[in-house]
Amino acid sequence: MTQPQTLTLNGRELAFAPGETVLEVAQRAGSFIPTLCHDPRLAPAGACRTCLVEIEGWRRMAPACATPATAGMAITSESGRIDRHRKSLMALYLADHPEGFVGSELGAPDQVYQLAERYAAPTDWPRMDNIRAGRPLDENPYILFDATKCIACARCTRYCDEVEAVTAITLAGRGSQTTIATVDNLSLLDTTCEMCGGCIDTCPTGAMAEKIPLLTAARPERELTKVRTTCNYCGVGCQMDLNIDPEGNGGRGKVVKITSPAPGTTTNDGNLCVKGRFAYDFIDHEDRLTTPLVRGADGQLQPASWSEALQRAAEGLLGVAERHGKDALGFISSSRCTVEENYLVQKMARAVFGTNHVHQCAAT
Amino acid sequence: MPSQEDRARVPEALEAAGGLRPGVARALARQTGVPEAEIYGVGSFFHLLSEPEVEVRVCQGLSCRLAGAEALLEAARESGLKAEGCQCLAACDQPPALLRRRRVLPALRLDEVRGAGADPGAIRAAAAPDDVWAGQVGPEADDPEHLAINLLGPLDWSGAAFARAASMGAAAVFDGLERSGLQGRGGAGFPAHIKWRGVASQAETERYVILNADEGEPGTFKDREVLLRRPDRVVEGLAIAAAAVGATQVYCYLRGEFEIPWQALEGAITRFDAEGRFPGIAFHLHAGQGAYICGEETALMEALEGGRGMPRLKPPFPTEKGLWGKPTLIHNVETIACLPGIVLRGGDWFRELGRTGAGTKLYCVSGHVARPGVYELPLGVTLDELVETAGGYTGRLQAFSPGGASSGFLPADKRDVPLDFKALAAEGSMLGSAGVVVLDESVDMAWAVAQQLRFFEAESCGQCAPCRIGTRFLRERLDAHRAAVAGAGRGEALAQVAEVAWQMNEGSICGLGQAAALPLTSALEHFPDAFA
Repeated sequence: MTQPQTLTLNGRELAFAPGETVLEVAQRAGSFIPTLCHDPRLAPAGACRTCLVEIEGWRRMAPACATPATAGMAITSESGRIDRHRKSLMALYLADHPEGFVGSELGAPDQVYQLAERYAAPTDWPRMDNIRAGRPLDENPYILFDATKCIACARCTRYCDEVEAVTAITLAGRGSQTTIATVDNLSLLDTTCEMCGGCIDTCPTGAMAEKIPLLTAARPERELTKVRTTCNYCGVGCQMDLNIDPEGNGGRGKVVKITSPAPGTTTNDGNLCVKGRFAYDFIDHEDRLTTPLVRGADGQLQPASWSEALQRAAEGLLGVAERHGKDALGFISSSRCTVEENYLVQKMARAVFGTNHVHQCAAT
Repeated sequence: MPSQEDRARVPEALEAAGGLRPGVARALARQTGVPEAEIYGVGSFFHLLSEPEVEVRVCQGLSCRLAGAEALLEAARESGLKAEGCQCLAACDQPPALLRRRRVLPALRLDEVRGAGADPGAIRAAAAPDDVWAGQVGPEADDPEHLAINLLGPLDWSGAAFARAASMGAAAVFDGLERSGLQGRGGAGFPAHIKWRGVASQAETERYVILNADEGEPGTFKDREVLLRRPDRVVEGLAIAAAAVGATQVYCYLRGEFEIPWQALEGAITRFDAEGRFPGIAFHLHAGQGAYICGEETALMEALEGGRGMPRLKPPFPTEKGLWGKPTLIHNVETIACLPGIVLRGGDWFRELGRTGAGTKLYCVSGHVARPGVYELPLGVTLDELVETAGGYTGRLQAFSPGGASSGFLPADKRDVPLDFKALAAEGSMLGSAGVVVLDESVDMAWAVAQQLRFFEAESCGQCAPCRIGTRFLRERLDAHRAAVAGAGRGEALAQVAEVAWQMNEGSICGLGQAAALPLTSALEHFPDAFA
């Protein structure tokens, strides 16, 4: 038996598993190290330089996100040098960032502002004009790229590549003009993009943003109520958070966007697809059925109770079976049903109506 | 799935397609299987690919500007050429230089550009007719026994050094290298033998050797001369290195503008191959596509693999995980060219060639000297000795940059500091690539600094924030300061410089960002009056 390996973080001895990074060890120990370009789903980039820590015997500070923990390593994550580093780094980020905290928050929280505030970075350094190219003519309905807020951390491009294996977007250009682009700056609609919106989810600043809430002037995320639910577009069971504006719909509340729970907390690991993330406008759509309808003697649909509606459906189905035989019935369930609901549909077909004619649209 | 080779082909396929024109990335993606966005990202990174419409580029580096590069660019535009400025073309000894496609035309005169009209193909440089591109080198009449590289010496195709290394065995070669005290000539000065032993000791047996010929540090043009004049030494040095560390594949990465040096190197490889001198060792030539940062060893590997040339995080170092994740020995051209001499004459011979450090060193000197060029002198000569070899100063010395733009500026009273790794580091500067730029008293130091800051802003890869934002921030601040000085009053334009410089040095991933503030901070320290 080998002893568990240990290192020290700010003098505290911590055990770690082989393969863990300094950041992972610190996070597990509840010790906060700021990050911007880090997403646990992605290979570490070490590019934003926010997570630099001191390691005994190392001349240069090292990125905690990309430095493997080794036995006996003595790490310092709070010191005068590190504090100076965080302050001046965030001040530089701010100099290259649009002014105005509130404006920057309309999409999602802007971690540049959050970290600058946390570390009391100077806010009076001269601002630089934005020179990063965006794609203002990209008419895709969902994903906005605001180049002014981009910090070129490449979380979006790495996510698109490493998690989705789509690679619709890339770092483009060089130096201070480095930006996020598609091939030939085409609209995302003309690329391999699947509109999953994972780029929005992983973006730390709101540079990748969702168009709908921005167009409808949604409130900052901190003023919204999150309600956890299960996506009902298919049977995978992705968890998602409905972001509800409590004052919307005349005080009844209105879903203004959908976000995925943090990576590592649910089975979908922070991922959603185009339907789960963006197709929520049906919730308040005027065509949406909110009560069962039953056709009256005049042939017109009339609102009815659930028991009335189910009664009418049962009568109709049993009538067909009686007149034409059980196999005259067929049941098709929806990919929007859960696995359990699909199980119940086939159970009903076989046990209640006595037919094996049952199918589900996602099976073809 | 695209293979490693498919990806590696991308930059040169983009070049063959005439650069990143609309539709090219998509078409190439269909051929290679590499995602189209990735290809676009690669093409947009390298300026020889990203601006396919540009016909000629005029170097706007410090030495070329001192020689009228701005007027040359203006003349090219007036002639109707699609002309842009560009960064250093490794022709600081023959300024101003112009790049037509991949061909450098050095020491170009205004009338030579004007005479060509709107036809870039008609531009002729009297200084470098036909396929010749070579500058002044020296010393002219020295005993070759005292020169490790000997640029003017006769070419040697015998393969004697390789044969001797083979008979000695790798361990003895490593020992000889250690005794020689050879430090890397690319800029960092890292002891060569440590790298060699590092690669040779890896468990992984697939190993590579890379020649770093991406010479681009402003003020530096020595590798150009080595490739042009002693390609025999370079190829034999590579073969010695490959055999010693157990590699069979050698990759040579030449900056794209080295069209003529490429021919010289390729010719030498062909000649050695024809004579069967280095059995079992294959040489591959790759052209850079326009990015100074690819002189950084891990950025170079990214570019060789077909990616955007952004440096990797270290550790792991290339000796352990280099090209395609395999142990890799990478050396600068000059370092490699020292090897045949060390093997044949012994490490002690090489070490004793130097004065305050081991070996002779190729010093590049440009700016206000009589005969700019490359001079092989004992490591540790002083500026005055170097300039004397180069025909003397042409004005009164005000400042000098001892090792390229990255080394900042030193004042005239540092002229006695030995030009070596240690002594210059102690002055807060560095020997770097030994690209010495001499400035006389006519030069406005704030102006000179501005040129260097423009260089780093243009060549920052953009990966890490301190360098990406810091290089631009400093350049903008200096511009604001100079405008304020020229205008009504001076403000606080330089108030954040010290803090930003600290951040760039502490926070940047690679040496570019770590050094990029030095031209400004060193000038503020040594020439405060220039910023008053």
